[in-house]
Amino acid sequence: MLELTLQALFSGLLAGGYYATVAVGLALVFGTMRVINLAHGELVLLAAYVAYAAESNYGVSPVLAIPVALVIVAAASALVYALLSRIDQDREINSLILTFGLGIILTNTILSIWAADIRSTSDPWFQDSMVVADTLFAMNAEVAAFVGGLVLMAGVWWWLNHSWQGRAVRALSSNRAAATLMGVNPRKIEILSFMIAALLATFAGFAIYTGKTVFPALGHVLTVKAFIITVLAGMGSIPGVLIGAVMIGVIESLTVTYLSASLQELAGMILFLVVLFVSPSGLFGGGRALAR
Amino acid sequence: MKRTLAHLVTVSALALSVALGAGAAQAKEFLLGSELPLTGSLARVGQGMHEGISVAVEMANRSYAGKHSFKVQTIDDETSPAKGVAAVEKLAGDGVVAITGGYGSNIIGPASEAAQKAGLVYITSGGVSPELTQRGYPTFFRINNTDGYALAMIGLLQDMGAKKVSIVYLNKDATSSLARQVNTALTAKGVTVGMHEFDASTSDFKPLMNKVKLQDRPDTIAMVGYENDYVGILRASKVLKPQVKAVVGVWSLATAQMAKEFPDLMENVYGTSMLPYPVEFTQPEAVEFAATYKKLFNKDPDYLGQFGYVQTRLLIDAVVRADEAGTLGKGGLPDELRKTDANTLIGRVTFDKNGDNLNFTHRMGQHQGGKVVLVWPQDAANGKMNFPAVPW
Repeated sequence: MLELTLQALFSGLLAGGYYATVAVGLALVFGTMRVINLAHGELVLLAAYVAYAAESNYGVSPVLAIPVALVIVAAASALVYALLSRIDQDREINSLILTFGLGIILTNTILSIWAADIRSTSDPWFQDSMVVADTLFAMNAEVAAFVGGLVLMAGVWWWLNHSWQGRAVRALSSNRAAATLMGVNPRKIEILSFMIAALLATFAGFAIYTGKTVFPALGHVLTVKAFIITVLAGMGSIPGVLIGAVMIGVIESLTVTYLSASLQELAGMILFLVVLFVSPSGLFGGGRALAR
Repeated sequence: MKRTLAHLVTVSALALSVALGAGAAQAKEFLLGSELPLTGSLARVGQGMHEGISVAVEMANRSYAGKHSFKVQTIDDETSPAKGVAAVEKLAGDGVVAITGGYGSNIIGPASEAAQKAGLVYITSGGVSPELTQRGYPTFFRINNTDGYALAMIGLLQDMGAKKVSIVYLNKDATSSLARQVNTALTAKGVTVGMHEFDASTSDFKPLMNKVKLQDRPDTIAMVGYENDYVGILRASKVLKPQVKAVVGVWSLATAQMAKEFPDLMENVYGTSMLPYPVEFTQPEAVEFAATYKKLFNKDPDYLGQFGYVQTRLLIDAVVRADEAGTLGKGGLPDELRKTDANTLIGRVTFDKNGDNLNFTHRMGQHQGGKVVLVWPQDAANGKMNFPAVPW
């Protein structure tokens, strides 16, 4: 029983790492622009498919494909931003419609380029097992994704708290008009946030491609999961994203172990509703929460 | 002399063109409808079946050339039951003679109900749930069913002498129904069975497979799901290394695609398969099918294409028979389909009063060194099974 519980907690922790790397980009953009980018999951997926294309066509390791994927995802993100910035009225609702549509376009573009087959890395190192104390099992890809995701999130958190641009992002998130009067250029800061979200999406795409399987319809699933975690964390909270993601991962994993794998999604949603019932602003919400 | 020859040539050419023109005028064109998931989570299987349908139409246009011609109008249901219904209604409005396609019992259920209301035949190979034929719709037909898959899986497990089996299955209509059927049959034969249901959103199977490893301690793992589920289960198993003798699955597993994409995971894994890989065809129709498939899609056919082809070819042949009997416009197509008794690429096909093909039995293949070898039943086998053997 102890073995099962420990493995469930370990798997939940690693799954939370995946969820967090996907969700943190969404949270950052929301914190800066008050925009839910419903195409975020598709941007993650785009990075995964670039890694697949590099590996299957040129035999390039998915790790080496990250810079190429970053350029492509950053270009796609810039396009999303360019379209979003043209919205003058009812930005929050109109941006939802726009990004939802862009997500569909991206999904179908991926489908027509790379077909509907499932894809994953063929590099066996990522699937090799890592065993801790003869009790905890994981794939190398999962541990690498967790550690890499943690480092990236810590970097984003440090940047938000200790750099001038980071402070500008927080100022913009807190009060756009006041930040503009204090000399912050909203456009520059917003596009910077989008680029950092693109970096996070690229890493998330690499992590999913190496540790899971990808297929064109996955983007929407990723966006929904990221959205739930972002709301659970408190809209725009970066540390909250990590904690919320791990909570979801662990509750899902424990549900699989002690109840049924078919109830894991339900368990995550119950946790989500309970947290919102107790704290309607999420775990670390309560206003403009970026970087808390 | 020259003038006479020129005159003769002109007259002959005129006569030939009149004859051909008359032939063309007599050729009837039939529009078939196809509702399939070309996007969404079932896009891969939907596109595979679509390829088989296209091959059937191409071959039928060759074999009925000058007499009849066929076109297919396809609508993507986006893996959504509601859009499946809308697609069938649109096809009915566009005047199709019948519908071939559909994938996923949960989509086929409402879509074929819409076809029934429109008085259109709906033929499929993408929905194996028993509930679909239990409705008794006179316009619903399918060429495969859960029984055929279950018989193959049970037969192989029995031949292996499995004593303790853990069934890991997706909680959808068709997969749950198949898992329950295998469970009932194995339990009746004294096999200890552990049932483990999972959701389509499950991407990390380690907690589930750890439960299988530590609590069930089976000698065989049986999987009922789709490609990404199999990959997840096999990856988790490869990490946890449960002490089993075999890993057995059903559809979408013993395929060329899986052999190519996941060679390290698939070795020694079993799945249902009508064809070995590389494909070996001997029957003339099968050879033509493979050649046409290759010509149209530049690849070897897989089981989805094969099923899509068979269902559509049977439909086309029935359309022709009904047309020749003068009953096509009078609701005679279901009766003509019910008269079907054909040896096809998937074996003999006949339909019972509910439209089910009770002759359907599947075969089991095993991934061996990048190939898929048919290992069950013995009379269809083209190689020996590696047993006990697992991918790790």
